[in-house]
Amino acid sequence: MKLSKEQIDYCMECGVCTGSCPISRLIPTFSPRQMIKRALMDLDETVVKGRELWACLTCARCSTRCPVQIDFPEFARIYRGRARKEGNLPQLSHHGTLQAVTALQTRPVRQNRTEWARETGKFASTGDYFFFVGCAPFFDAAIKFGDTSMDTVKSVLKLVNRMGIEPVISDDECCCGHDALWSGDEATFRKLVRKNLDAISGSGAKTVFFSCPEGYATFKHHVPQYFGELPFEVLHITEFLARELPGSGVKFAPASNGDGVVTYQDPCRLGRKAGIYEPPRDLLKLVPGLQIEEMGLNRENAVCCGTSAWMECSNCSKTMQTERLLEALETGAKTLITACPKCRIHLTCAQSNTDLHMDVADLYTFILNRIE
Amino acid sequence: MDVGRHPNIRLLAYSEVEKVEGELGDFKVTVRKKARYVDESKCTGCGACAEKCPTAISDEYNLGLANAKAIYRYFAQGIPSTYTINTNFCRNFQAGKKCGVCAKVCQAGAIDYKQQDQVLEVEAGAVILATGYELFDARRIPEYGYGRLPNVVTALEFERFLSASGPTHGHVYRPTDLALKESLPELEKSRQKAFKALEKFEKQFEKTSDEFYPLYEAGELKGEDYEKWAEQVRAFRDLDGEVQARKEKVASLESAHRLAFIQCVGSRDIRFNRYCSGFCCMHAIKEAIIAREHDPQAQVYIIGMDIRAVGKGFEEYRNRGAKESHIEYVRSRVAEITEDKDHSPVIWYEDTKERVVKSLPVDLVILSTACEPSPATRILADIIGLEVNDFGFYATDPSQPLDTSRPGIFVCGCAQSPMDIPESVAQASSAAARAAQVLSGSGTLRLAS
Ligand SMILES: Cc1cc2nc3c(=O)[nH]c(=O)nc-3n(C[C@H](O)[C@H](O)[C@H](O)COP(=O)(O)OP(=O)(O)OC[C@H]3O[C@@H](n4cnc5c(N)ncnc54)[C@H](O)[C@@H]3O)c2cc1C
Ligand code: SF4
Ligand code: SF4
Repeated sequence: MKLSKEQIDYCMECGVCTGSCPISRLIPTFSPRQMIKRALMDLDETVVKGRELWACLTCARCSTRCPVQIDFPEFARIYRGRARKEGNLPQLSHHGTLQAVTALQTRPVRQNRTEWARETGKFASTGDYFFFVGCAPFFDAAIKFGDTSMDTVKSVLKLVNRMGIEPVISDDECCCGHDALWSGDEATFRKLVRKNLDAISGSGAKTVFFSCPEGYATFKHHVPQYFGELPFEVLHITEFLARELPGSGVKFAPASNGDGVVTYQDPCRLGRKAGIYEPPRDLLKLVPGLQIEEMGLNRENAVCCGTSAWMECSNCSKTMQTERLLEALETGAKTLITACPKCRIHLTCAQSNTDLHMDVADLYTFILNRIE
Repeated sequence: MDVGRHPNIRLLAYSEVEKVEGELGDFKVTVRKKARYVDESKCTGCGACAEKCPTAISDEYNLGLANAKAIYRYFAQGIPSTYTINTNFCRNFQAGKKCGVCAKVCQAGAIDYKQQDQVLEVEAGAVILATGYELFDARRIPEYGYGRLPNVVTALEFERFLSASGPTHGHVYRPTDLALKESLPELEKSRQKAFKALEKFEKQFEKTSDEFYPLYEAGELKGEDYEKWAEQVRAFRDLDGEVQARKEKVASLESAHRLAFIQCVGSRDIRFNRYCSGFCCMHAIKEAIIAREHDPQAQVYIIGMDIRAVGKGFEEYRNRGAKESHIEYVRSRVAEITEDKDHSPVIWYEDTKERVVKSLPVDLVILSTACEPSPATRILADIIGLEVNDFGFYATDPSQPLDTSRPGIFVCGCAQSPMDIPESVAQASSAAARAAQVLSGSGTLRLAS
């Protein structure tokens, strides 16, 4: 979506966006409302040249509440494209390693993206279902946070195998382009999507499922926006599992006292961006006796894990993450469950510098481990 | 009142329109007059029945904030003042149950459990629709927490709190405080029960519990019965402590002093209703002024993008609110409401004048919810075959604001568009005059001689 001038004109300067923004609460000079206003007053240049543009998490806390439906994250995305052209670049996290990996994937490189799957379960090279694995294997190589990254996709493969599905997993898959897109790098995004569309079409899949919320949101919204209607169904695995697991005869062991109370972090891409709030909770409810204690800010009101697109990780991110962990601990839960590998990495990282002890767990592994 | 007494007006309350046939000058309207199970011509409205009725139900007029009986009057000033039985709750209408108390106490012999719905056919030259509005369901804005945060109420609920005939007799207590108060008798009952159980032991062993327990603790009394007694003593002491603590808490409860109105809830919002509901700015000011009259300590905030004081004297009223009632008008649209540990709502917003995000803890939040077409508007539009506009109100032409899309059918009040009472009344009179005008034109108006 391109944000038209007219749309921005609707802005009533009501302040809902700024009042909702977790960054504005920590950095008082950061204000979505004022950025919109500056664009409105033909002061675009100050937005394009400013650092604030990069501070936005694109978490959609503002835009889902805006009474005139101005999509501020989309506004930021478009302006980031302009900023990039003018040499105003973001501060990259992890020395830009992940952006470098992404850039490599736009080239004709040979990847080994299936080794882990061979060791884990059954998969195919053609078939109805395509499992879009996403960046987990790269996270695993580039940033080691214990053994956090790969267990998500391994668990998903095991779960769908149990449902009798041997999905396509492809060596030709590449980065979904989410981070490039949100960093204003449309050219890289386009290249990546084209490669992925080729890989998917080569597999003959009718349904592509994702466990990563970012890949899912990208294919659900932005890929069709740039490439038109897709010839396959885009499905989030929580929707699929919440629908199919209950009737599949799979039995879950009752929660024991130790891990009986959990809380759930709604990832922005899955929650506010895709409206998927209940399926992950429905999955957790399959475990008998498991108590889900919600944080005060949940579902539509959930707070982002503090940073996105591997950039601009700051004190602000750390404060947000610590506050979120505190909120999670206040529920009395021992485990914080999330359905996004990045939420998990960010919250685990923040935790390592504090004495907030809590298991930050991956939804699919948590579920898988409780199957009898 | 005037309508009830007027010789030329026949009021069919507790009735529903089922069909409208015919045309201007000659409509046949089918009306279902629902059974009240009380004879309207006999009931004097004395209320003896409701006083004795053993079945308490939630009071709809007080928005569930108080209780009514299964035989009830929607509200005290209603016309006619006839009582009605709610068959969903009345024992006589529940399988396997019996009652009949109201029939026994009614001096006028008005109770008739066998009464049936009546289907009437009314002949009319013209029809005027005054089906009014319904309030926006604030649950649709999850960030405001209505329905989840107990101390966030709607302006309509707040009106009931302010009313002398309301559930709190005009005192503004927070719903959580009310609940605490109401929980006391139940807790006292449990304490009483525990006390009775102690008495049994005391009789059996001819000792007071206070004499017994130290001996038991010292290990001088052993045995299953003594263990049970000791357990009962501990249970009683716990409950007793809890009753005392809650009593003290209830005694120290104060009415809500810090109040905040949140404007445009569901109005001026593309997601729900694009239009301004017109009356909420003024009723917020009215309620704020009354709240301050009831409680000179009250500090009231009204948070909105602007105050739409459209009308003669309205701007002055707004200013009077600030000057005499110390209302603080805050220029913003509230972003979200969270709550503190003691259930005090915390309002998050950007003060757009100062350009700072602020959080404001208050005792009670009041939502000024939008005016939406009532469900009846759509139902009647379908029955009669009328057009509604994009917003769901009856469609009218700006130059003929009282005429619906079907000749002879007119509209007034909030069924046409959001408006306040004076405007609604003016429109109602205009609609009546318009009907008379049209009918006299078609030669069918029969004036009372
Ligand atoms: C909290 C609050 C405070 C307010 N305070 C003020 C104030 O102080 N001053 C002021 O001027 N305005 C005030 N207003 C606005 C006022 O309520 C409206 O202007 C007024 O009620 C509109 O009158 P109406 O007759 O058009 O509609 P309504 O009052 O909605 O009346 C419509 C009636 O039609 C009945 N009805 C609906 N469908 C059918 C059907 N199918 N068959 C039979 N009957 C049906 C309904 O039960 C209802 O009784 C306030 C509004 C709110 C929400
Ligand atoms: S929430 Fe929307 S209307 Fe309000 S200031 Fe922000 S962009 Fe403007
Ligand atoms: S009257 Fe006031 S509160 Fe109501 S919708 Fe209009 S501006 Fe908002």
